[in-house]
Amino acid sequence: MSLLKINGLKAGVEGKEILKGIDLTVNPGEVHAIMGPNGSGKSTLASVLAGREDFEVSGGSVEFLGQDLLEMSPEDRSRAGLFLAFQYPIEIPGVSTANFLKTAVNEHRKARGEEPLEPAAFLALMRERMKLVEMDPSFLQRSLNEGFSGGEKKRNEIFQMAMLEPKLAVLDETDSGLDIDALRIVANGVNAQRSADNGIVVITHYQRLLNYIVPDHVHVLWNGRIVRSGGKDLALELEAKGYDWIKAEAQVEA
Amino acid sequence: MSMERFREFVDASFFDLERRLNGAGSGPWHQLRRAGHQAFLTQGVPTTRHEEWKYTNVLPLLGLTYQTASAGSSGVAPLNLAAIHSLDTYRSAMGSDEVFLCLIDGQYLPSLSTEHHQIQGLSVEPLTDQLVANDNDVRTALASAAASEGHPFVALNTALASHGVVIRIARGATIERPIHVAMITDARSSDRLQTPRVLVLAEESAAATIVESYHTVGSNGSLIIPVTEIVAHRQANVRRVTIHDDVDHARLIGYTGARVHGDAQVSSHVFCLGGGFVRNDLAIALLEPNAQGFLDGVSVLAGEEYADNHTVVDHTVPHCHSEELYKGVYDGRSVGVFNGKIYVRPQAQKTTAYQSNHSLLISERAQVNAKPQLEIWADDVKCSHGATTGQLDEEAVFYLQARGIGKAEARALMTYAFAAEVVERLPHEGLRTAIEHRIARKLHAEPFTV
Ligand SMILES: Nc1ncnc2c1ncn2[C@@H]1O[C@H](COP(=O)(O)OP(=O)(O)O)[C@@H](O)[C@H]1O
Ligand SMILES: [Mg+2]
Repeated sequence: MSLLKINGLKAGVEGKEILKGIDLTVNPGEVHAIMGPNGSGKSTLASVLAGREDFEVSGGSVEFLGQDLLEMSPEDRSRAGLFLAFQYPIEIPGVSTANFLKTAVNEHRKARGEEPLEPAAFLALMRERMKLVEMDPSFLQRSLNEGFSGGEKKRNEIFQMAMLEPKLAVLDETDSGLDIDALRIVANGVNAQRSADNGIVVITHYQRLLNYIVPDHVHVLWNGRIVRSGGKDLALELEAKGYDWIKAEAQVEA
Repeated sequence: MSMERFREFVDASFFDLERRLNGAGSGPWHQLRRAGHQAFLTQGVPTTRHEEWKYTNVLPLLGLTYQTASAGSSGVAPLNLAAIHSLDTYRSAMGSDEVFLCLIDGQYLPSLSTEHHQIQGLSVEPLTDQLVANDNDVRTALASAAASEGHPFVALNTALASHGVVIRIARGATIERPIHVAMITDARSSDRLQTPRVLVLAEESAAATIVESYHTVGSNGSLIIPVTEIVAHRQANVRRVTIHDDVDHARLIGYTGARVHGDAQVSSHVFCLGGGFVRNDLAIALLEPNAQGFLDGVSVLAGEEYADNHTVVDHTVPHCHSEELYKGVYDGRSVGVFNGKIYVRPQAQKTTAYQSNHSLLISERAQVNAKPQLEIWADDVKCSHGATTGQLDEEAVFYLQARGIGKAEARALMTYAFAAEVVERLPHEGLRTAIEHRIARKLHAEPFTV
């Protein structure tokens, strides 16, 4: 069974159509990259998958592990194993990273019929998973994302991913704003979580990240449609030629 | 009409008290009562046309047929303190630390209070006409931090108070144990109005924490009009915690005045967590250089609750510092008011004064009225204020949902965190935890500490 099966997905906001018919299938063990110029709808796709209410779905279907994803609440999607690393992680004053994660992890456990983790076991798990992204344990006591630098926020997203162990992770421009060292750290954190059972969708603007997280499939999203799909070489081609040739081709085809 | 009747009631109570004074009528406390009575008659009961009482409609409070405490409650069974739920909660929170001072209908009852005589540096005495007549410090302090002329309910308290308690911390003494002044209103047999008076005298370099809480017993109406005066002498450190967590039909109009001398500090923590109607005035006067005032408050209201916090920080001399943070969470049809005045007098150069006030409306029918009022007449100062009123950040709620936390829980978590920021500043761990749990329960959230 595929992890994710998107068929003809159309979605928009306030009557404006942003996604104009997306088809995408992700199977276990696969890494897909979605590339495309700014404003083409990449974050909208990620948001619709995660269940953000601002967007109205006007057509198509999404199956996640055989379930109708669009019928599920955002929290149920997460508990079922979908993870979105936000392009712009939100600052939440007063809620410490540790307490937030404890609540989140225990909600996931509850959904699986498991008991909450003992505090000591939980702390040990957090410390272990933080190492994946070389995050300092002092972050655990700080309010979630509050005053974190751009890079720290992105690492925190991947740390959360490691804690929640999703079946499918959608990483929305997790590379943006990272310097080369931070990029490598984040990519290593992601790669450590690759397995034959789970899938990853990497949304990125640049090819750079894909040197580290090597995708099986690359898709180009433009103007609400996937206008081209290919192997990892497509990313290199985009890097060399820019997006204009794709746009031109897509216009000719349309 | 009810206003007229209320005034008659105040008159009758005052003259009744005067008749029972037996010789103390010419003493210094009664001179203050007379002045208070006159000041009350002059000012009258404030209406919402009065700027300071714009949102605080006290008229419905005055329509009941009150008896003052001095009328006595003979023939009624003694109170069972352990059965007063909120009292029991906060007493347990302080545990064996607590120095319990029990005031029933304004009267300090040593027999129900902690035996405190062996506590070094602490003196607790009932406030009496005789004490005011004979004790210079008490006489000087009484009515020094709460003026009848400026406030009709200070005037009312001053006119009718015949009991109370004086807490004195000796020079250089630090009292580690929280001193808990519990004000209990016995409204089992009739509508009850009480006017307790508390005087806290912290001598030079003395330190103490005073916790005040209010509890109504019985289903009749209750109106408590307490006045607390705090005098912090040089280098003294007084922490004052006020807990409003009374029953739904309880009403309170309270005033706290603090006078802070050089290098001394007064920190106030006000928690409005329950009770039908709360109006709190807190006035801190910084009188000598390096005096400091810290004012924290949080209201967590639901249902029909009402809490109004008026604060005044008066910077009268150079080099003083004040810091104020008030927050409110309003659910149901509750109403919150915040009015924060900061005065910086012309001579008060090098003042630092910061105020912030943030409100969260979690129901569409809840209301908040917030007004910062900075009046700055000195030029070399650092002053700021920030005020926000809003709803929860829905982006943040979504972020938590996207991590598997249910929507209601996400909202409760964030709301709790919002309020907890103020509670965290309370040093006493037991009390802090009890208040955190109380707030969590009210918000249907899990309590946690950051
Ligand atoms: N909440 C919103 N309201 C209105 N327009 C939006 C909203 N979110 C995205 N858009 C618009 O949808 C288009 C796609 O945006 P987005 O999905 O963020 O693109 P990308 O992530 O590919 O840069 C843009 O034109 C953007 O302005
Ligand atoms: Mg984007």
